Amino acid sequence: MKLTRRDLFTWGGGAAAGLLLTPVPWKLLDDTSIWTQNWPWIPQPAHGPVEVKNSFCSLCPNGCGMRVRMAVGWPVGISGMPHHPVNQGALCPLGFGAHQLNWHPRRLRQVRYHGRASSWTEALVAFQKACAAGSVAIIDGYPGRAASSLFQSFCKQHGSYGVVLCTEERALGPYETWSGVPVTTLGYDLENTGTIVSFGAPLLDGWSAPGRFTRLWSERAAGMADPQLRLIQVEPAQSRTAACAWRWVRIAPGSEAALAAALARALREEHLAPEDTPMPPATLAESAARCCISIEAIRELARTMVARGPVLAISAESNSAVAALNVVLGAVGARGGIVCRRKRAESYAAADSLTGSFSAVLIDSSVPADFNPNIDAEVFRFAGWEGGPGRADWLLPAPGFLEELTDIPTAPASSIETYTIAVALAPPPPEMRSAAQFLAQVDPSAPLVEQVIHARCGQLFHARTGRLKREQSTAVSALDSPEMLKKELCHGAVWVDDPPRAGGIRCRLREWPQPSGAAPCAATWTTAWVPPVLPPLATKLYQESVLRETPPRSAI
Amino acid sequence: MKARYGMVIDVDRCTGCGACMVACAAENNVPPAAQRATARTGITPMLVHKVSDGAEGEDRREAFLPVTCMQCEHETPCVTVCPQQAVQLDPATGIVMQMPQRCLGCRYCMTACPYHARYFNWWDPVWPQGMEKSLNPGVAVRMRGVVEKCNLCHARLHAAQEKAAAAGKRTIDQHDYAPACVEACPTGAITFGNLADENDSVSRAARSPEAFRLLARLGTEPKIYYKSKRPWVRALAEPHTAQSRKEVQHG
Repeated sequence: MKLTRRDLFTWGGGAAAGLLLTPVPWKLLDDTSIWTQNWPWIPQPAHGPVEVKNSFCSLCPNGCGMRVRMAVGWPVGISGMPHHPVNQGALCPLGFGAHQLNWHPRRLRQVRYHGRASSWTEALVAFQKACAAGSVAIIDGYPGRAASSLFQSFCKQHGSYGVVLCTEERALGPYETWSGVPVTTLGYDLENTGTIVSFGAPLLDGWSAPGRFTRLWSERAAGMADPQLRLIQVEPAQSRTAACAWRWVRIAPGSEAALAAALARALREEHLAPEDTPMPPATLAESAARCCISIEAIRELARTMVARGPVLAISAESNSAVAALNVVLGAVGARGGIVCRRKRAESYAAADSLTGSFSAVLIDSSVPADFNPNIDAEVFRFAGWEGGPGRADWLLPAPGFLEELTDIPTAPASSIETYTIAVALAPPPPEMRSAAQFLAQVDPSAPLVEQVIHARCGQLFHARTGRLKREQSTAVSALDSPEMLKKELCHGAVWVDDPPRAGGIRCRLREWPQPSGAAPCAATWTTAWVPPVLPPLATKLYQESVLRETPPRSAI
Repeated sequence: MKARYGMVIDVDRCTGCGACMVACAAENNVPPAAQRATARTGITPMLVHKVSDGAEGEDRREAFLPVTCMQCEHETPCVTVCPQQAVQLDPATGIVMQMPQRCLGCRYCMTACPYHARYFNWWDPVWPQGMEKSLNPGVAVRMRGVVEKCNLCHARLHAAQEKAAAAGKRTIDQHDYAPACVEACPTGAITFGNLADENDSVSRAARSPEAFRLLARLGTEPKIYYKSKRPWVRALAEPHTAQSRKEVQHG
């Protein structure tokens, strides 16, 4: 048989076609694909037993309760703590990825002086020199902690102490001015409110502890045509909160104070408010023109507000007109309004108001990264992460997320007093040091954070009030010793004080207040977020979806 | 009894915070976005969309719609087209499983999925140095070149099954198994359960008149239900798009 060129092509073609019908090429393709995809640099999760520990978030002053899954000694997952009295099992999106923050590429890992590498010894010498040369100012972003009391003790000898309050507390500022009760003692009794009029506050988008209002809204308002809790959002643009609100009132940008005054006037004119409350000087026509809504719409809104009481007005920032509206509505010191917690906290000086000559300013890592002191002095700034527009001569690496023992005082604007302890779950890198540890080196006679926390547990135990909240509640009076109380707090229990009494605060206004407070601006949901960076997984929100715009002051 | 795991998502309760998206990524070891990743090329097994009724001004109404794999029960499109049997419908749970080790990366399943709920790994999974210590040990990292999607946190189901087996039980305790997005939702908008159990609260919610499914007319019997009291939100489920000749003829 003669083999022709045609036969060769026929056999070759047939073999190629036949091979396709066998598993061989597909198996080869499959194996090649798997081999090329399993490169050695693809990380493999470490395997080990998984255990769940309770702790509390320290990235903003709300201190939400968290259940942290640990594997091989590291946090590998976070979920909300269902029994926490404030966040009730909810966390913000950033909290769910916060366990990865400590490995953020912008983690501050060494002492820096004007951008160049330095050492703790040099920083210590420089700070001691500044202390000897004059007084120092310490700025705290999370007052009420054990570390804060150490700062205050240090400042009694060496200078002044100032705080940077979060927006929720700043919004309560006018009530402190009018009543003398410190803002750190005031809270909103949201749980008993019938109607909330929010003047731009992002109530459903990162305002206060995320679980507190969202849970309430979900149970009493979401999707209902006539909800038990009416949320009226006053805002120039349709924000996330406005989209979910029972009613959205669109006004001209910056006219929140004008609308608050107009509502107060409408309430007075329609005899829906007491006669002894102040009457705003602006007429309804003037206010309506300023807000770009009709007079009838203002009157209708005023009637709607009071139709389901108690009524509470909340502003995004400090706004004396909105606070005065609450006075007109009778919401100050009343159930479902502005309440005063049982234990009166200290009144702190605002960091912006510190005056005098200082040789140094020490800024704690709890202060938001964009804060700049109005003091001409050498700035020692503690930070877990680099970045942010804040001024700093010395940048000092502080422990990161879940890397230090701290206590968690009451969340801002909470109506009930709480206290708990967040233990360190991850080992901090050796070069990290907190501001309290740094000050202990300057003044070795000062107590440690652990000792202050221990003393506070003793005070709580001997006061014999309140209860410990875990899955079940236990009265403090049923505990045997302060050590037991501390042990419970370290394992996720929260001390909760008895509910406040109505009438703890009274505000009387003779005249409508002059417009004051910060210039109104669109409230962003990360205003309470302390680090200048966001968890890398936040890219799912900002880069890989169209859900959110990246906050201007944070880096992913 | 065979389970049919599914969800009911209450659209009226969703505030669009995105906690479900981040919790899902953290649970399933999804890497942070590569520099060039976009909403189209990123990996978001749970993706929240913002939708509106189309009106303008104060009358405009908006809602947030979390979209994930719909766990289609009937003629599951991705299962049908996969040449590698990398996608399978688990008969015991009703979960549509994706096996990355078998996946060739042909992306037929992505084309076939009517919900755009599948994502292709365009880049090697990369975390900042040291961050691999924070990975969930229960879930393997997927390699570049494969498709992935929501599998209702299958690792959590495994953990619940192991717990049940250790206790000598044949079935899991329902409280031991809930996907990460369900656990994370701050408003409780996402509920999860067994649709085959008529007494399950999720099963009851799925039968309520307010419940609907996306593109139900395709007949794939998705096991992810939505719920809303607002008619305009329910109308979104069946958009007035062009229909094929076959759809016009056979409905």
